[in-house]
Amino acid sequence: MVDVNGKVMSAKEAINRFVHDGDALVIGNYTVGSCAELVYEVIRQGRKGLTLYSQSGIFDVETIVGAGCVDRLVTTYCLRAGGKKGGSAVERGLNAGTLQIEDYSNFQYNARLMAGMHGFSYIQVLEGAMVTDLFHKRSFMGENKFRVIKCPYTGKDQLTVPAANPDVCIVHVQRCDKFGNAQYWGALGSVAAAALASKRIVVSCEEIVEHDVIQSSPHLTLIPAYRVDAVVEVPWGANPTEVLGYYNMDQFMYGLFMMADGTADGLKAWMDEWVFGCENRAAYIDHYIQKFGSKVLDGIRAKAFYSAPANYGSAFTSRWDREGKERNMGMTLPEFEQTLKERGKLYE
Amino acid sequence: MSKPYTLQELLVIAVAKEIHDHENVILGVGLPTTAGAMAKALYAPHATLMMESGIIDFEPLLPLNHIADAHSCRGFSYATDLFSAFTMTYRGFVDVCFLGVGQVDKYGNLNTTAIGDYYKPKMRLPGSGGAADFISYAKRTVLTMLGGNFVNKLDYFTSPGYLDGGDSRDKSGLFPKGSGPTMLLSTKGVFRFDPVTKEIYLAQIHPRVTIEDVKKDVPWDLKIAPDLSETPRPTDEEIDFIRRFAPAMSAGRELSMELTIGNMMKMLKA
Repeated sequence: MVDVNGKVMSAKEAINRFVHDGDALVIGNYTVGSCAELVYEVIRQGRKGLTLYSQSGIFDVETIVGAGCVDRLVTTYCLRAGGKKGGSAVERGLNAGTLQIEDYSNFQYNARLMAGMHGFSYIQVLEGAMVTDLFHKRSFMGENKFRVIKCPYTGKDQLTVPAANPDVCIVHVQRCDKFGNAQYWGALGSVAAAALASKRIVVSCEEIVEHDVIQSSPHLTLIPAYRVDAVVEVPWGANPTEVLGYYNMDQFMYGLFMMADGTADGLKAWMDEWVFGCENRAAYIDHYIQKFGSKVLDGIRAKAFYSAPANYGSAFTSRWDREGKERNMGMTLPEFEQTLKERGKLYE
Repeated sequence: MSKPYTLQELLVIAVAKEIHDHENVILGVGLPTTAGAMAKALYAPHATLMMESGIIDFEPLLPLNHIADAHSCRGFSYATDLFSAFTMTYRGFVDVCFLGVGQVDKYGNLNTTAIGDYYKPKMRLPGSGGAADFISYAKRTVLTMLGGNFVNKLDYFTSPGYLDGGDSRDKSGLFPKGSGPTMLLSTKGVFRFDPVTKEIYLAQIHPRVTIEDVKKDVPWDLKIAPDLSETPRPTDEEIDFIRRFAPAMSAGRELSMELTIGNMMKMLKA
């Protein structure tokens, strides 16, 4: 779907326009359905000096860190390939001094975005963490990683974190209209907060749908159109992760990635083939099928299990009834206009 | 005598028995989700299973890939967000949660962040994820330690157990009274915490394991329960459930990975 003057565009154009060197970039997805194609496009375009926010790092964080795009990482969870004997791009980056990390708990990280989303400058988090090294060991955020304040109502010590308002969020969802109303369902995680806290939002989706689909299911809209800058239609856009209602996790491709990720050379070879070697997602899927056949992808396509429709209906959709009478005043439009005239309400 | 079982099957069942009917349960990925599914199917039909990604009241049909895996059930009852999953824990609505262990000390404090220096780690572990907040505010926490270690001092203090022991956790005023870890499961035994000193002790020992086997992993003089018992072997019903629900769990990580990679190699050649 090409929308020349609108928000619908390719991943290449969206990343080129909205993700810049030195940005604070947040990956909006949490553990599931990660925006693989948008992450790969950031890597292909060679962005540098990013501060990356990730609720839970999986192959997405490993590839973008492994590619050298990220100087600083704010996260709660990192992937490790190959257990004790293996490794990760994050671990290699920390040891090489090319990456700094700021560790939070899941809640603290999400709370920073929640504060940012709602326009607060800080937010209370759960005070138990004050005894831990999450609180005591600090990296690039220093004093501002946490601050302890007194609750003005109870007098108790409260642990707080500062709001986060990343420059740009990249996020993958099930479906979106051309205006940018992004619908997402399943594990809600921190997707809405990550997107809405950010200054710019790039959405990729499995499919672009008509606006009336959105209007009949507004409870599924997590990100409203007026906040979205770019809409990118990318079928299989989260592979090797999964998208509820579209496809399952691709254990085969994930397995290939995990076997590669334990070493820098392994990860580089994997990215040369699957990130740099494929100019976009369509090329990636073509290469996949050419190399391994279509059996794996066909085997993980979702079988439908539809949500029961919620009835958004009402008694009527016009003030004028079937006989053409206004429902409260009981007169037709000509009768109504006659009355306005008789009562001296109309001006020439 | 029930039929032959694997070590992993014994472990899953020991964990599943920590879930009681009508409880609200936060599950972590791996062994706890299989244990949760089994508890719900066999012992605790009214338990509400929850995950921090906001998937609440689900009945898994498959073992979960991770804590946001809605593909492993056909729908669920309540779709909330991560923020609310933690605030409901903070408010006291979670009875029991399950956490994995990288390092654990005498009082059940945990490290799941880094081995060696935090800033230049010998080994970077996953991090806190939900652990620090769940063990702070769930009423009980069950620890599963399959690859981790007992240490005198944690390399990084990720999640609070009983702090310095005794009443130090309750006295800190930061946690609900009486909360904290209640059990640790390892591949050798089941450990619990002394009600007064809060020091971890061996409560049950798995079949074919000796006390010496357990003690050699612990760098202090581990206390042993005077009424030390053997971990009960699984029943046929329990074994059948696990093998049907999560065959890879029955096999254990190493064997199931070996079989999976073998199968992948076959696919790559075909």
